[in-house]
Amino acid sequence: MNEEAELLPGTLDLLILKAVSLGPLHGYAVLSRIEQISGQRLFVEQGALYPALFRLVRQGLLKTEWGKSENNRRAKFYELTAKGRKRLQEETDWWKRASAAVTTALAARPQQA
Amino acid sequence: MIVAYLKSMARRFLSRAQTEREMQEELQSHVQLRADALEHGGLERAEAERRARIEFGSHVRFKEECREAMGGNAIDQAIQDVRFSLRSLRKSPGFSLVAVITLALGIGATVATFSVVNTVLLRPFAFSQPEKLLWIYSQRSDNARTNFSLPEYCDYRDQATSFEGLAGVASFNPGFADSGPPERVQGVRMSASAFAMLAVRPLLGRTLIAEDDRNGARAVVLISYGLWSRRYARDPTVIGRPVNLNGETREIVGVLPPGFALPNLDTEIVVPLQPDADPRRNVRNSVNFLRMVGRLKPDVTARQAHAELEAIRQNLQRQYPGIYTGKIGLTLIPLTEEIVANIKSVLLTIFCAAGAVLLVGCVNLAGISLSRAAARQRELAVRTALGATRGQLTRLLLTESFVLALVGGSLGVLVELWSQRALLRLVPTDLPRIESFSIDWTVLLFAGALIFIAAVACGLAPAWLLSRSDLRDALVSSGRASTGGGLQSRLRTWLVSGQIALALVLLANAGLLLRSFVRLSSEQPGFDPFGVQTIRFSLPQTGYPDVAAIAQFYDQLHSRASAINGIKSDALISILPLAPRSSSFVHFTRPDRPPSRPEETPSTNYRIVTPEYFRTIGILLLEGRNFSESDDAEHPPVAIVSTIVAKNNFPDRSPIGQRILVDDTEGDPRPVEIIGIVGPVKQTNLETPAKADIYLPLQQVPKDGVQWLRNSAYWVVKTSGGATGLERLLRDAIQNVDPSVAVGAVRPMSEAVATALAARRFSLLLVGSFAAAALFLAAAGLYGVISYGIQQRNREIGVRLALGATRGMILGMIFKEGAVLLASGIIAGFAMALVLAKLIASQMYGVNEHDPFSFAVVGLILSVISLAACAIAARRAMNIDPIVSLRCE
Repeated sequence: MNEEAELLPGTLDLLILKAVSLGPLHGYAVLSRIEQISGQRLFVEQGALYPALFRLVRQGLLKTEWGKSENNRRAKFYELTAKGRKRLQEETDWWKRASAAVTTALAARPQQA
Repeated sequence: MIVAYLKSMARRFLSRAQTEREMQEELQSHVQLRADALEHGGLERAEAERRARIEFGSHVRFKEECREAMGGNAIDQAIQDVRFSLRSLRKSPGFSLVAVITLALGIGATVATFSVVNTVLLRPFAFSQPEKLLWIYSQRSDNARTNFSLPEYCDYRDQATSFEGLAGVASFNPGFADSGPPERVQGVRMSASAFAMLAVRPLLGRTLIAEDDRNGARAVVLISYGLWSRRYARDPTVIGRPVNLNGETREIVGVLPPGFALPNLDTEIVVPLQPDADPRRNVRNSVNFLRMVGRLKPDVTARQAHAELEAIRQNLQRQYPGIYTGKIGLTLIPLTEEIVANIKSVLLTIFCAAGAVLLVGCVNLAGISLSRAAARQRELAVRTALGATRGQLTRLLLTESFVLALVGGSLGVLVELWSQRALLRLVPTDLPRIESFSIDWTVLLFAGALIFIAAVACGLAPAWLLSRSDLRDALVSSGRASTGGGLQSRLRTWLVSGQIALALVLLANAGLLLRSFVRLSSEQPGFDPFGVQTIRFSLPQTGYPDVAAIAQFYDQLHSRASAINGIKSDALISILPLAPRSSSFVHFTRPDRPPSRPEETPSTNYRIVTPEYFRTIGILLLEGRNFSESDDAEHPPVAIVSTIVAKNNFPDRSPIGQRILVDDTEGDPRPVEIIGIVGPVKQTNLETPAKADIYLPLQQVPKDGVQWLRNSAYWVVKTSGGATGLERLLRDAIQNVDPSVAVGAVRPMSEAVATALAARRFSLLLVGSFAAAALFLAAAGLYGVISYGIQQRNREIGVRLALGATRGMILGMIFKEGAVLLASGIIAGFAMALVLAKLIASQMYGVNEHDPFSFAVVGLILSVISLAACAIAARRAMNIDPIVSLRCE
């Protein structure tokens, strides 16, 4: 069975915020980190990543700084702002509530209805 | 908030290049990092990089999406849109040219009229809190706007409590002499305290202070901005310079600000009234020469103030019975309203007419853009298919009209800036406050707003159409007009009807103004201006103590005039006919029929003349005899009256030989015998019907009139016409008799008649040309919509012709369409014109503002021209060859 899950719409921003919350990352590393923390089950399209990053920067959730990558290449690093951290918390709570609700709903049996 | 947003947008815009660089670098870095990872996984470096690039995909799309996500690229987009619209406008130069010219003319004309409206009506007056200022006249049974005498003014001033101050104002037109040539100036005497009350700030130096009214104060004078510019070339060192006014030396202490104006009075100079130094201060029966201006106390209304003044008036009448006969009340008018009273509705009419032409022009362009949008539907459909959103297309169309409006509007404003001198020559010179005309920020701001409105007006219809039509259809239906067509032609139809309606309103207005003008021009002023020249002059205060001296001055003048070739006759008069700003009248009674109540004492215009006056200016002597040289101080006083006096006061018998009591001295009325009757003369303007006139011979003028005559009189000469260099000769003649006489302008009497018509000629000219422009635009719009309809229905017409319809039937079909448009436009236009008519009612003369004749004529003109436009368009339909039109699909 294919273990890759399709990214739910609206979750990309949440995943990026989560990935970056673990430490400043450059764009490519954000991709790798999302794959890694999702247990290699979620893959983000390269083309979709950057518009999302730029959008989050514009919203003031991320800030950027140029630096050196682990293998010594110049790269732009993304880091969570305080506002971003707050947003991540909110979105995480919302996600938990929503997914729990969906799970409950899906677990429903006919006689309980 | 908005500022912060604009700032961040501007910052992004300015750091655009850097952002682009960073984006490129980040992208490269990403590809490299991915390649590193792939290399790590065992690929060759070159292969790894290739793979990384392929995985990443299009750089351009990546950047585009990132830019969009980053926001703030509205400026980039706008620049792109502008570039694009310039390109597409270049592709249709005909349309662009028509649009730019239409908008340039429309916006130019509207801005030009606005700049005059702005100067005259909108700019703040030189007074602070002008709404509290009232202009006050004495009211008589036959005239609501007459003057007070000096003691009367002082009583009001001292007794009224509703005002922070009451100032007296009188006209004062002295000879003005300094080192340059002497001239006559038109100014006022005014209570010195008035300036503090009006809160006028001087442009230079100071205004008058209460001190200046004190008896024996230093003699001072203020000059107007206009006089300062004209005579002193705005030299700031005029302050402190001595000038000679009617032989009295005064010091210039200040220059008034440009916006300073008083109702119906020129203010080239202002001198303090000095009421206590005036010999008339305590003469109850003295001449009425003052108007009043007052500032209400903060908590007092105009109504309360009126009531208080009225109470004072009634008291005075009880206290001095027989003195204030004929005065029946007071007229209080807000000062600023009275200043612009005569011109307000004229200016607003012209301004609205200009605005209406602009509107018609915009509607025309909207119509053309609609057809263009329809023709471009395929292009727009292709753009949609390639990914353009509807919003982007709408923006594109609006940008196009913005570019057009901006180019056209800027052109219009440039023309206006460049031609402002010509504009000033066009406006009547007696327009209040026009001397301070300038194009200021308000005007430019207005122009900007106009450009914006015009752009939206032109671009909105096509954009709206776009949002309603299904563009995919356009792509599918092989380029023929598709579903959008019905909507767009309905919209165009509406627009054209609107244009016709507006054009009709303007035409009706112009027609009414024209009829009024023609009526007024054909009014007889009561004299014959042909070949008559006039010169106003003032005699010096010294050397002319009595009437005999003035008469002697005239005798010398007369003998010099007789020597000048081409002068047929000459005379003196105290006030010329058609002098809107001068008036002089007296009360008189018939001893055998005393008035039942003092208020009913009749009054008449009062003129002092030499015997040749009637012959010189062409007033007909209808009965009795003219004055002669022997009607002098040694002989019993005589008078000549106009037919109006004969009609009103002597219905029972001929007035010739009758004695009347004329109240023209500070003493009791004196008996005067009527010896002749002359025709009526329009003394104020052409509109006002001729009133009663009485003429007295110079040699019999009572002593009280000497001062008055010395200050201002006219020399009138009748020439055989076409005399050249006459002005010089006339001036020399006066100067040779007495070089200290201040001489005003030499003015042909025909000019007075022209001036009396000037304001109407001005508004007729402008409204007329605006109406013609609107007519042309509406006809062009109709032509456009009809010929577009024919083009769209080419195939249908082809089929009809092929099936046997005659050309006459086709023509009928097209005309029916045009006629429906025209009829709906005309009905709407008539409705609007009837509703708006009351706005121009005050400008009508001898014509009802609902004049059916004018309405019928303009309706006819509009119909004929519109149907002609239809006919021209229809001729094209006649040339349709059914075979060609059916095959061309």
